[in-house]
Amino acid sequence: MKITRHDREDGVVVLTLEGRLNMVSTGSLRETVHEVVEGGASRIAVDLSGVDFVDSSGLGALVSGLKTTRQAGGDLRIAGANEQVRLVLGLTNLERVLTPFATVEDAYDGS
Amino acid sequence: MTDHDPVERSVRLTSPPGDVNDIHDFLAGLWAASPGVNDVDRISLETALVELAANVLRHADVDGTGLSCEVTIAVHGDQITVAMRDTGEPGDIALVGLEMPDLDAESGRGLALIDALVDHVEYGREGEHNVWRLVRRRRG
Repeated sequence: MKITRHDREDGVVVLTLEGRLNMVSTGSLRETVHEVVEGGASRIAVDLSGVDFVDSSGLGALVSGLKTTRQAGGDLRIAGANEQVRLVLGLTNLERVLTPFATVEDAYDGS
Repeated sequence: MTDHDPVERSVRLTSPPGDVNDIHDFLAGLWAASPGVNDVDRISLETALVELAANVLRHADVDGTGLSCEVTIAVHGDQITVAMRDTGEPGDIALVGLEMPDLDAESGRGLALIDALVDHVEYGREGEHNVWRLVRRRRG
């Protein structure tokens, strides 16, 4: 799993993930979210368009990031989820709190 | 559904150093040999099997000395079956009444996901092994 960080001018931090988000790689996502929030930003957009696969530990890391950013007054939103990711978000009901946006631009469009 | 010949493949995973990425690599070979399996069946089975392997690697290796498991998948007619045997400790596993945890839970979704992704889940002990069997009826 590769994670690339881009700080946008509007304060949103875009994390672009590439590879598989599973039990092998979730630790680095959790660490990155904590670094972002400790650095004073709290609005994160996670770009999943380069992610092939997310398992339940990956979902857990996204939920953890959601809680961390919301506690800091922000939010964590996801974009670019493929069919597999949408399937597991639906089966776990997590799409209610992790709504999959088409693109990171859409994720914080006007809010 | 296609008229392709049945395909059966096995892989042995020893952890460490093996991990769930080995399961993905194994499945990539299986799908290449079974082009008739549609996307929904493929991603459902792959997710279920990776969840199962992750569960075994995380919970069955009680003493931290590692374990090995053997996975056999068969694509046959209108169903895909998975058989997995591991050398881990017996699990305290309830497969009845599995429910998704609350939305703010950071773990505990694995077995409920498996249950939602396949039509039949079986767990038992055979000698010193945990034995799992998953069956998914093909939708396409």
